[in-house]
Order: sequence, then C-alpha cells, then structure tokens
Amino acid sequence: MSAALLETRGLGRRFGGLQAVSDVSFSVPAGQVLGVIGPNGAGKSTFINLVTGHIKPTTGKVLIDGKDMTGARPWAIAHAGVARTFQIVKPFRGMTVRENVAVGVLYGPSDQNRMSTALTRADEVLEEVGIAHLGARPPGELSVADARRLEFAKALSLNPKLLLLDEVMAGLRHSEIEPSLELIRSLKERGLAVIVVEHVMKAILAVSDQVLVFHQGEVLTSGDSRTVLSDPRVIEAYLGQRYAKRREGGGDA
Amino acid sequence: MPGVTAAETERDEPSAAAPPGESRWRRYVPWGLGILLLLAMLGLQSQLYVGQERTVSAIFMFVALAQGWNLIGGFTGYACFGQVVFFGLGGYTTAVAMTHWGMNFWPMLLISGVVAALFGALIGLPLLRLKGHYFAIATLGVAEGMREVVTNLTDLTGGGSGITIPTVGEEATTTYLGNDGFYLLFLGLAAFSVLVGGLVSRNKFGFALRAINQDEEAAGSMGINTTRAKVAAFSLSGFVTGLVGATYAFQQAVIFPERLFDVDITVLMVVMVVIGGSGTVLGPLLGAVVLQFLSEYLRQNFTSAHTFILGAIIIVAVVLLPQGAVNYVREARRTGNYSLLANVRRYRL
Repeated sequence: MSAALLETRGLGRRFGGLQAVSDVSFSVPAGQVLGVIGPNGAGKSTFINLVTGHIKPTTGKVLIDGKDMTGARPWAIAHAGVARTFQIVKPFRGMTVRENVAVGVLYGPSDQNRMSTALTRADEVLEEVGIAHLGARPPGELSVADARRLEFAKALSLNPKLLLLDEVMAGLRHSEIEPSLELIRSLKERGLAVIVVEHVMKAILAVSDQVLVFHQGEVLTSGDSRTVLSDPRVIEAYLGQRYAKRREGGGDA
Repeated sequence: MPGVTAAETERDEPSAAAPPGESRWRRYVPWGLGILLLLAMLGLQSQLYVGQERTVSAIFMFVALAQGWNLIGGFTGYACFGQVVFFGLGGYTTAVAMTHWGMNFWPMLLISGVVAALFGALIGLPLLRLKGHYFAIATLGVAEGMREVVTNLTDLTGGGSGITIPTVGEEATTTYLGNDGFYLLFLGLAAFSVLVGGLVSRNKFGFALRAINQDEEAAGSMGINTTRAKVAAFSLSGFVTGLVGATYAFQQAVIFPERLFDVDITVLMVVMVVIGGSGTVLGPLLGAVVLQFLSEYLRQNFTSAHTFILGAIIIVAVVLLPQGAVNYVREARRTGNYSLLANVRRYRL
C-alpha cells in the first residue's frame, strides 16, 4: 500500500450530535480515478473537506503520499500535492481569469516568484481546460460551464498529484461533459490520482476505476463501478426502497 | 483626471493583450507620475505660508495613514476599526523614550514603527481569525483598551495630563524640525506609504492579499498560508501607521492619550480609503487629499456648520459610489457604463 497517494484510516467527523462522516478507510494509488457517489447529505463534501484540511477530523487519519497529514491546514495539503475544486465555484472575483489561475502557480508547490512566468503558466493551464480565450475576462462574466472549467484550471495550477473534483460537471450540458471526461482521462494517463464526486452517473461510470458509495455518512460499498452500481443496496439508497422492490418484482415476472 | 487614466490603463495592462513594446513603458507611467508629484510637492513648499504649510503637512500625514489602513482594510479586506492603536503606540513609544530615556528622535522613529508592527503581529494572530464586524469590534476594543493602559501608566506617560517631549534647551535630544522639517518628513512618509502600497499591489504578496479578500477558503486551498499573509499585512500596516504616529507626537511635542488614541483618526482613515477606492493605490491617496482639503476649506468658509456639511458630502459620496471613486472609474471604463444610478443599483445590498 506504499503506492497509495491518498489513504484514509477510520476517518470520521462529528458535528455536535450529528455524525456527518464515520469510519472511512480506503486508498487511491497514482494513476487511478476514484468515483464518489451518494445521495444528498451523504457526507461526500464533508469527506472532501476532511481530506483537504478545511474541516478537522474527530477520528481517524489522513495519509498523503505515506505522510500523516491529519488535521493539516489547507495550504499545507495543497503543498503536499493535493488540489481541489469547490462544489459552489469560488473564483477570486476581483481578478481576471488568468490571474485567478496564476495564484496557484505563485503559491502552490511550484512557488513561482516571477509574475510574468506565473501568468504564462496560467495561460497554459487555461489552454488545457479549453478557456484560454477568456483569460482577460473577470470570472463574473463566465457561463456556468466556463466557471466550472476555471475552477478546474485553478486546481490544476497547483500541479497536483491528487485532484479532488467536487461536482465539476454539475449543471453542464451533455456536450460540455465530454471534454471534462477527456481531461480527467488524460490526467490519469499522466499518473495523477483523481477523486471525482459527482451526481452525473454517466460521468462516474465513464471514468472511474473504483467507486465509493456514501450513505448517511458511511461507506455503503466500494468496488469497480459496474458491480457497485448494480448492488441493490446502492439502488435502494439512491432511489428508495419502493423502487428497489419494484425492480426486483419486475425482474421476476 | 490624467492620474486616474494612467494608473487605470496600467493596471489592466497585464491582462489585456497589449503589444509588449507599448506595455513596457506604460508600466512605468505611475512611477513617473509619482516622482513628478513628489518633486512638485517639494517645489510647492517655498510657495506656502506657515499656516498653509501645516495644512499640507496634515494632508501628507493622512495620505500615509490612509495607505497604511488600506493594506489591511483595503487589500486584505479586514476592516480594522482600531488602527489608531498603532498611531498612538508609535507616538507614545517615541515620546516616552525621548522624554525619559534621552533617546534621539531618528532611531526612535524606526523603533516606533517596529514596535507597532510587532504589536500588530501579536494581536493579529488571535484577532485575524475573526471576520467582518467581529474583527472591526475586536480591534476597536484593543484601541480603547490601549488608551486606558497608557492613561494609567502615569509614571511613564504622564497619564491623562499628557507628556511633553523636550524640544528646546539642554533636555532636547533632537533639534526640533520646525514647520519646514515636518513638511518634508510627512511628505517622505506619504511617499513611502504610497511606494509600499504600489509594491504590494503588484507583487506576489499583493496577490495573496487580494485572494484572501475575495475568497479566503479558496485562497487557502490555492496554497496561500492565509494566517501568515494576514498577519504580515496587519503588521506592515501597523508599521506604516506607527511611523506616522511617532512623527506626529514629535511635531505636537505635547501629547495626550485622548488625542493619540482618538477614534476619529481611525474613522478618517476608513472614510478616506472607502471614498477614494479601497484596495487600490490611487484611492487612499485621492481620498486623503480630497477629504482633508475639503474639510479645511469648509472649516474656513462655513465655520459653524462645517462638520455637518462634510458629513453630508461623505454620505452622498458613499451612496453614489459605494466602491470608491477609483474603482468606479475602472469599472465604468471597462463596461462603458458611466451611469451613477446603475452603479447605485449594482451595489445595493
């Protein structure tokens, strides 16, 4: 398991009386895509926040590249090679799109000090996600799809080893999803580990090597994507008992 | 206003795809204008009467104070309502050391800045965890508390009856600078503060502060050590303000806690930055000059109602241009919409 870029052991977080996430243990090696699914409120975002240091865990450990990073601050996690996107996009509104991305080049692991070099590198990243032509615009003028691409670009500007994507495809049209999937595949080829939290089932199926299903703060099941998605417990958690029963009944008839 | 135009084009230049040849010399336009302005102010001195010289010195002082506040309140977005604590701390450090320990003013000027900076780091570590109103109230509390401490350290500070820095005779440690000397010193501080603001607005550190201002959570995950950057900004802001306080104390020679920790000084800094345009270099400069000039003009021409009229003008300015004059001009130039009404609507909360 030394190859694991990210490993969590018994990770959990309690908010007062609510156990938001409990006992999550799994690992992601380099060059793999892990899909994370689960109904609303299942603890997916809390889980990401625990890994990236935005919320401190009450139990368990987070190991990044074999190093214990439990409870480390977000910038330390970023320097350890972990980048994330936010479900609700968080652009720096007073900066241009390319300046947004340059922040990661300046302050990420590359720790660039020259502004011009950082901006050039930012343009390359924007090219990669396909919004190079919008570099001079303020982020407030971007469409939903482009704003999500900017979020993606900001994460990539850190040159991460592990990328956590929190619903980067939510609200996108069919034609807009494909380039994102293509990008995730190419990152995987390059040896990055990617964790994709997503509601768009088609997207998860298309790229994930493994899928982790959250339900009520716990890992319901995990494994390769097709097995997991045909698991009756997963169907029940997602679509409710009645649907699961009807599906079984329909199968019998 | 040519100053606004030049700085505006300059700022947008890195993002707009301007031809490199043209952008290269444009980069230096604000610096060039700054140096010209500095020379003009040096030349102006010989043309002023004593009273006018004092008024202009006060304008310089407020330029430096507004630039100092802008570092934490403007760039970083942490509205400090206790900024006067650095002013008072700087002033009392210099006054006490000159009076009791026979220190020369010049080293004390620097030491006072450093003391204020260290104090900024010390209170910044806990207080910068607070946001918005909470930070504002906490810093206000620190300033009020510090005034009480200084008032009660009677042996050192003379308490409420004040302390007098010896400026003549054998006890004077430093030749009093006089009106001409203080004009130059305040001009120097104003130039220094504008220089600090100008450097911060362009360099890597300024990017971190703007990122923290616009979304602190995102700034953290982009690798910015937000705690360190905020404390550094607060400390730098304290340094600039402390220098001004030390100079003011020496100029006044007789200082009281009520004056050196006067909450009005903080309010003036905030109003100047907000009206001029927070988070810009030109904004605090313009805000301080316009407001001080206006205040002086009204005092001379409408003696009894001058604060009332000034207040009314400030209210109108803030309602019409909530983002400040410089930011309004920048946005209007970009969008081509100069309508004040549209501006009011856009910023209505």
